[in-house]
Amino acid sequence: MSTEFNLISELQDKTLIIKTEGYINNAGGERIVQELEKHANVNKLILNLEKSKVVNSIGISHLIEVIEKLNQVNGKLIFTNLDPTIEKTFSIMGLFQFAEKADSVESALK
Amino acid sequence: MENNSLVEKLTLQSESFQEGFEILCKSFTFDEMAKNFLHLLRGNFISSRIHLFYKATKDSDWNSIQSQEKFSDAGLSLLSLNNSTPIKYFKGEKYNAVVVLPLSDSSYLGILIGGKLDGSELNDFDKITLQILLQVFDSAHKSFINQKNEKKLIFELNEKVLQLNNLIDTGIELSKYENQNILFELALGRIVVLTNASSALISISENNNGFVERQITFPQNISPESILSSLHKSEAVFNFNNKSYCLVISEKETRKGTTSFNDLDEMLLQAVARQVNASLENDFLLKESLEKERIEKELNLAATIQQKIIPERLPKIDGYQFAGINIPSREVGGDYYDCFDLGEGKFALIVADVAGKGISAALLVSTLNAALHAYLEFNLPLTDLADKLNKLIYKASPPDKYITFSIFVLESKTGKLDVLNAGHNPALLLRKDRTLEQIEAGGIGLGMLDLGIPYVGQTLSMNPGDTLFMYTDGIPEAMNLNEEEYSDQRMTNFFIENSERPVDEFIKLIVEDVKIYVGEAEQSDDITSMILKRI
Repeated sequence: MSTEFNLISELQDKTLIIKTEGYINNAGGERIVQELEKHANVNKLILNLEKSKVVNSIGISHLIEVIEKLNQVNGKLIFTNLDPTIEKTFSIMGLFQFAEKADSVESALK
Repeated sequence: MENNSLVEKLTLQSESFQEGFEILCKSFTFDEMAKNFLHLLRGNFISSRIHLFYKATKDSDWNSIQSQEKFSDAGLSLLSLNNSTPIKYFKGEKYNAVVVLPLSDSSYLGILIGGKLDGSELNDFDKITLQILLQVFDSAHKSFINQKNEKKLIFELNEKVLQLNNLIDTGIELSKYENQNILFELALGRIVVLTNASSALISISENNNGFVERQITFPQNISPESILSSLHKSEAVFNFNNKSYCLVISEKETRKGTTSFNDLDEMLLQAVARQVNASLENDFLLKESLEKERIEKELNLAATIQQKIIPERLPKIDGYQFAGINIPSREVGGDYYDCFDLGEGKFALIVADVAGKGISAALLVSTLNAALHAYLEFNLPLTDLADKLNKLIYKASPPDKYITFSIFVLESKTGKLDVLNAGHNPALLLRKDRTLEQIEAGGIGLGMLDLGIPYVGQTLSMNPGDTLFMYTDGIPEAMNLNEEEYSDQRMTNFFIENSERPVDEFIKLIVEDVKIYVGEAEQSDDITSMILKRI
């Protein structure tokens, strides 16, 4: 079950890896956007959602903002470790037209 | 400037206007577009003293686009919405041009244009360029707004599709949950997504005293109190199995904060509550049905065990007529009868009844049967046999289980009958002269107590014309719809009145008489009987 939202991040060159935990709602989505904004030169964001099982549409709107920000710098967003329900949600919301998905962070880094 | 020269210059610049339009249209945000426009203006007019401002509505303040700092220049007062034209030109002033451009979304773009770097003021060519650039910006802004609206519409449409999909999935997933905790967690996770709630709660309380048995929240670490005391909340309640289930959602999220839930949210909450209710009911009914199935299987197994133990055929005893019957009730009981051929014309006739029904009773009958097979070989006195059986059954059975038991060891040639009755219904011995004896000598039921209380046996003699009738309580205690028993008296009378009949016929008739008496009432206990008549 989801706990309060938390994230940890790691920068590898121009790739930012963010691992989230908990409900991606307005607050959670904002935290992801803010984390990206802290790193000016990032052109690849890997978002590991292994410990996030619930995302609402406000959270998704923040993720779309993340995608747009990365598009501005010809960057890309890769979701990893997606729960099937979230994967279906993102698919319906059209996120995979502008972002990629991978099974794990390791495969997203390749 | 000559007109021809002006047209020529403008023609040359048309390509750069097109490029400018494309740059503006590629902007992701209004700020980015405005900043790109500022670069265009500065490039075209070769001036660094150009400032851009934005006013979101007619009544809001002008905000500088270049920086977050407050713009303190007095030129800001020149940005008036009351101007008859979007552009006003000034000569010899700090600013050569002031623009207030109304945009398609009712916002405004303000521009202050100072002198060029070479100190010159805006010429005719510059003025036409400015007109064109403003049109370029206006078009790009309209395109930007259209794209934004289009994105918003697509998002909202996708959101509705997602909601519908989630609702269908929720129904499916809630119907196949493994335990209640998973069901509640799943329901909470689904309802927050469906309604964009910040948090949700399921509170389960007892209907009779309102005692709150359990509260589950989403997210997990949110306190139930904070949800219940939130400003914007909505709830749905249903009752099931004397418990009240209250689903609460709290604080509908938007990008700008939280708000109250709308009618659609209420409907979605009710729908999820109904699905949870249905899942709990289905689970309850499934468990009930499985339990019924389990009992049914147990009864079938018990019936199989019992059928294997009850003899298919009784032995023939020379000089006697001998018959027996066992009719198990729907709920398998623990009646038992058998006749062991001990050799040399000796036979042991046994009638017994285990207290209780079902597989445990059937297993106890099985134990008794096995023990009799073992002990009867040793030709023990019946009191010793009863004592051993009592100890064995006492150890093998739970406290509420015991066996009432009667044994009759017949020496067929002489008619000597050793009898012991361990708590069983007394057998009836009808003498040829029509006198009736009840055989009660014995002791307590087998397995009731293990206190060494001695059993007492009895020896009788069966003479030609005598009839011995053995039975279990399924005959005298058979009840009709008025819950009146067939009774010992009616059974005894029937026995006396029909004792002259062949034993097979007697058995058939007494069973029929019991069935007639019982009528439509269900057979509540096994019916077992043996009859032995010396010819």
